[in-house]
Amino acid sequence: MIGPLVKNGIISDGVNTLFAVLIGMLFGYALQRSGFTNSKKIAGAFYMKDVDVPVVMFTAITTASIGLWGLSLLGLIDLGKFYFLPSYLLPMVVGGLIFGVGMAMGGFCPGTSIAAMVTGKIDAMVFVGGFLLGSLLFGDLYPLWNKFYNSDANGVWRIDQLLNVNVGLAILLVTLLAVFGSLGMRKLQYKFWGKND
Amino acid sequence: MKKKLWDPVFGGIVIGISIILTFYIAGRGLGASGALTAFAATIQNIVSPSVTQSSQYFSKYFANGANPLDDYLVYLVIGVMIGSFIAGMVSKDMKLEVLKGPNISSKGRLWYALAGGILVGYAARMARGCTSGQALVGGAELSVGAWAFMFSIFAGGFAVAYFIRRQWI
Repeated sequence: MIGPLVKNGIISDGVNTLFAVLIGMLFGYALQRSGFTNSKKIAGAFYMKDVDVPVVMFTAITTASIGLWGLSLLGLIDLGKFYFLPSYLLPMVVGGLIFGVGMAMGGFCPGTSIAAMVTGKIDAMVFVGGFLLGSLLFGDLYPLWNKFYNSDANGVWRIDQLLNVNVGLAILLVTLLAVFGSLGMRKLQYKFWGKND
Repeated sequence: MKKKLWDPVFGGIVIGISIILTFYIAGRGLGASGALTAFAATIQNIVSPSVTQSSQYFSKYFANGANPLDDYLVYLVIGVMIGSFIAGMVSKDMKLEVLKGPNISSKGRLWYALAGGILVGYAARMARGCTSGQALVGGAELSVGAWAFMFSIFAGGFAVAYFIRRQWI
């Protein structure tokens, strides 16, 4: 069965929706079991006190990248039918900076706040309330940042295109960055905070 | 007694597999912020439809009688809630509580949570996604914008960490 299954007509939209719930369950289960329902643990990343958050992120990215590329090499998925995210570089950099400030203050990102809310974390419930307000602020006052939001549009722009190398080499470079980034941050954590924290 | 957490590399692999599954089955990535914004827009559309309809950004959510809650990411997020709830039950980490550092009151912590939530809600829309839908999924797609977004998150967090340290350490 060649993916994407729903776009190749192998499964119906209804079955796709059912799978969405099931994949969400796997994702939510993994977030909770990785400790990401704990705002202290997430914020700890910004003090190098607990670098599990970036390690999980790096591992998830490289797993997905290698997996998708491998499946396409095996002919099991058709990358041409994927939805690729476009790059709006400057709005994403500015958005990322504000996001980082909010994440350090709030102790959550959207996915982790949803996972934490259902396990009784009151700070997560308040964070979600804030998130709803913040996204309404963006949408209701959209004319104020409409122009900036749509600026610096680079379409689908990948690292292999940026570096002018083939996809395999780009994935290898990203994997090396992830592995050495994770090991380096763990080393800094032990250096600053000791091994038993 | 709470159950021991997963090794972060194992957790990352499971999350990576869930991204591969959304692509293999649906041809798209996962995400969380889109569902929350759809929920916010829906509530606003009930409370104050005129504001929503006159918003250039939100009016398209409801164009031609569309229901923004009938969306892939909304179903996915319902799954996230079920999955995390089950994990919380089996690992005995299910308790009404405010998590914080020792040097701040619960009330103080909740003000920070609210302010952080507002900033993240705004920023996720500006960046067209969050840590899941933009950083992880875009990162796996090798998107330049997604990697820039992820490094900017850490830059923003590190920049402000010192000034809010009494909340956490």
